[in-house]
Amino acid sequence: MELGPILRAIRRNKARFGLIAVEVALTLAVVVNCIALIADARAQMARPSGFPDDDLLTVSSAPFDAAFKEPGYQQAALRADLDALAALPGVAVVTSTRLIPWSGGGSSGEYRQAGAGDAAPMLRSQIYNADERTLDALGVRLVAGRTFTREEVDRDTRRLQEITIHPRELGSDGRPVDKFLQDVVVTRAWAEHVFGPGPHLGRLFQDSDGDQYRVLGVFDPFYNPYGWPIHEYAVFYARRSSSYENGTRYLVQAEPGQASALARTIEETLTRVNRLRAVEVSRVTEIRYLYFGRQRMVAGLMGLVAVLLVVVTGLGLVGLTSFLVSERTRQIGTRRALGASMVDIVRYFLVENWLLMSIGIAMGVGLAVALNLALVSSIASARLDPITVAAAAAALWLLGLASALVPALRAARTSPAVATRSV
Amino acid sequence: MLAYQLRIAWKSLRRSPAHTLIVGGGIALGVAVSTLFATVRHSFAKDPIPDKSAVLYNVRMDTWGPVDPYPGGKPPPQVTYQDMVALMRSDIPARQTGTFKASLYVFPDPRVGRPRRELVRLCFSDFFPMFEVPFRFGGPWDRAADRTAERVVVLSDEMNERLFGGEDSVGRSVRIEDREFRVVGVLDRWRPGVKFYDLTQNPVDVPEPIYMPFAHMVAMQLESSGNSDGWRSPPMAGFAGLLASEQTWILLWVELSSADQVGRYRAFLDAYALEQRKAGRFQRKLDNRVTPVRDLMVEADVMPKEADAMVAVSLLFLLICALNLIGLLLGKFLARAAEIGVRRAMGARRLDVFMQHLLECELIGLAGGAIGLALSFGAIAVVNLWAKSIISRGDFLAMDWAMAGFAAGAAMVAGLVAGLYPAWRVCRIAPAVHLKAQ
Repeated sequence: MELGPILRAIRRNKARFGLIAVEVALTLAVVVNCIALIADARAQMARPSGFPDDDLLTVSSAPFDAAFKEPGYQQAALRADLDALAALPGVAVVTSTRLIPWSGGGSSGEYRQAGAGDAAPMLRSQIYNADERTLDALGVRLVAGRTFTREEVDRDTRRLQEITIHPRELGSDGRPVDKFLQDVVVTRAWAEHVFGPGPHLGRLFQDSDGDQYRVLGVFDPFYNPYGWPIHEYAVFYARRSSSYENGTRYLVQAEPGQASALARTIEETLTRVNRLRAVEVSRVTEIRYLYFGRQRMVAGLMGLVAVLLVVVTGLGLVGLTSFLVSERTRQIGTRRALGASMVDIVRYFLVENWLLMSIGIAMGVGLAVALNLALVSSIASARLDPITVAAAAAALWLLGLASALVPALRAARTSPAVATRSV
Repeated sequence: MLAYQLRIAWKSLRRSPAHTLIVGGGIALGVAVSTLFATVRHSFAKDPIPDKSAVLYNVRMDTWGPVDPYPGGKPPPQVTYQDMVALMRSDIPARQTGTFKASLYVFPDPRVGRPRRELVRLCFSDFFPMFEVPFRFGGPWDRAADRTAERVVVLSDEMNERLFGGEDSVGRSVRIEDREFRVVGVLDRWRPGVKFYDLTQNPVDVPEPIYMPFAHMVAMQLESSGNSDGWRSPPMAGFAGLLASEQTWILLWVELSSADQVGRYRAFLDAYALEQRKAGRFQRKLDNRVTPVRDLMVEADVMPKEADAMVAVSLLFLLICALNLIGLLLGKFLARAAEIGVRRAMGARRLDVFMQHLLECELIGLAGGAIGLALSFGAIAVVNLWAKSIISRGDFLAMDWAMAGFAAGAAMVAGLVAGLYPAWRVCRIAPAVHLKAQ
């Protein structure tokens, strides 16, 4: 091996050889961090909601006729819509709910564990109404207990309605005198947030009015983005949605594969039931697509940069190694004249390149980590993954080798005569 | 001397057009990518209303409950109705407006289209001059209309296009929900970069298509279709309960033209809060905020968290492009060693040779920068088109002079990075060696 001459040559021309190493180092650092940003974006996009997103459709119906101000008319319209939707071929379950997966909003409330005392912090959760079909329509997976029965939904709906019509009497502390107890179905993340590890069935939490909530069922997973970081916390009350005045929303779970066909027929069907409103149908996959717009854009742009970078660096390495080889034409000629074989020449340049690439990659790993730490401070989740770094380093190493092969082969064909001619 | 060096540099570039093209192309690519990313960041960061951002202030008050703070520990981003009414009695601000949006049914002429829900911004007449909203026809309603809930509206250019085919519709009538409104003004195209006056939801949203006097909120019992946060149930049922409640859903903006006014307004807020505390409200530590536009944008995290990282990556990309060109330039310059040897022997100083080659690199740099700028225009158009399918707005990213300057600067730096070492190498050539070789 001619390691000695190579090292001496490198030491004498630090700038030129150093350039290759720096280029490789920077490329590795940037590509690896691009991949980290892409991986982070993709991980966010791949997060399961806990719902069969592909099969879900959300339908908004917004009436614009004065008739809808009449509660009886509202009830009848709601009933007629639900019946019409349920009768459509391809519909598995249909319900009326304000929960629209991935739309990033909703209502929330504050609770604490029952008996925890007034000093205990209030914990915030998303809150939704559910009838006996809502949790089925959402397709969530129960891990403990059960969902609401029809009787429970009717009973609790009546009770909650009673309170809005005849507000409860307030005590001296500003809280209702008569408390009530309500059964709720909650997400596992919420149950663990409030009570710690399970089992959670039958446990109680309460709101600031002192009303209590008893865990009837627990499901998991659940992820619905919210304005505050409570995406995984949700509490479902048993309550049939009745208000129609400001419009209502239906959630339809289609039979597998039927969602896109249903998306086209639902608007027509509902408009036939009642023309005095506007109907809009969206697939949950479309809502999710919009929700992750930013992540998709980050991933796309970073991918573009990574690809361009590899191309630019590949071309640059070919240019630089060609230059470094052509500069030594005379040296090669001399060595050939003194008896070096073509294989010796090729090997010399490949070993030289291997050495430079290795130095560059070693520096690059350090630089990648440094760059990532600077990035991590602004984007907590875009961490480097060792396997990605190793793979990118190996790919870059091969790229360097390939870029050296062409000029090395050309150099090896240098005739010994060249050396004698130009001296 | 400069003219002479320019001429030589130009000749040298002409002599090897393919080489020039590759080097220029490399710089162009780097400049295009970094300008695109810088523009993305700049579009979020730049002042959306440069003439007035220093005098427009958002008002917040910590009306939250005594037990737990509003999530995040700061006062809620919006105020309650009762506080808005009380605060707007102040005569300290030159102009002021409370505002929120509602989603209401608009009934176009049946020949034009079916009824549709549209976003309607409820605001006071000061909203328009405060935020420099441009008018094409007519103008804002007057302050009297704010008091009497006159049935008047202002339409955006797009809404006017949809409802009235774009003609001067001032004086025409629009049915919104169950009543008729008279059009008093039609906006010109209004597209502030970030929707600075309402950052509670999507900050890159387009402004609302319809504006009506705030007083209609009570008259028509309108509820917000935007954010609404509260910490306790209303004291009574129905709309009256909402009005008297601790629910926050109104953005309050004031225009204060001097530090003295700001000071007086802050004092006014604190005095009001202390007064209210006697009535049992404002139980938390006093925390009233009067925040100028740009500070509010920083607080509201308008900038996507990835933007800085992406700009850093794109600058490194430009650096790598420039580094890659060093080898090419080195090859080209050193191939000319004999010629330079002759020039040096004839009396050219090292500095002259160095400057001439650096100039050559800067020329390619600038040409590459110009191409890169053109490329980034294209790239911005493509990204905007892409964004349109996500944020329903295809004009958010916009190139401006600052970004053109950025591109030019980036190109010059790239030329320098690529050219410095080759130019230095070539000026160190000893003339004797190369003269001998001839």
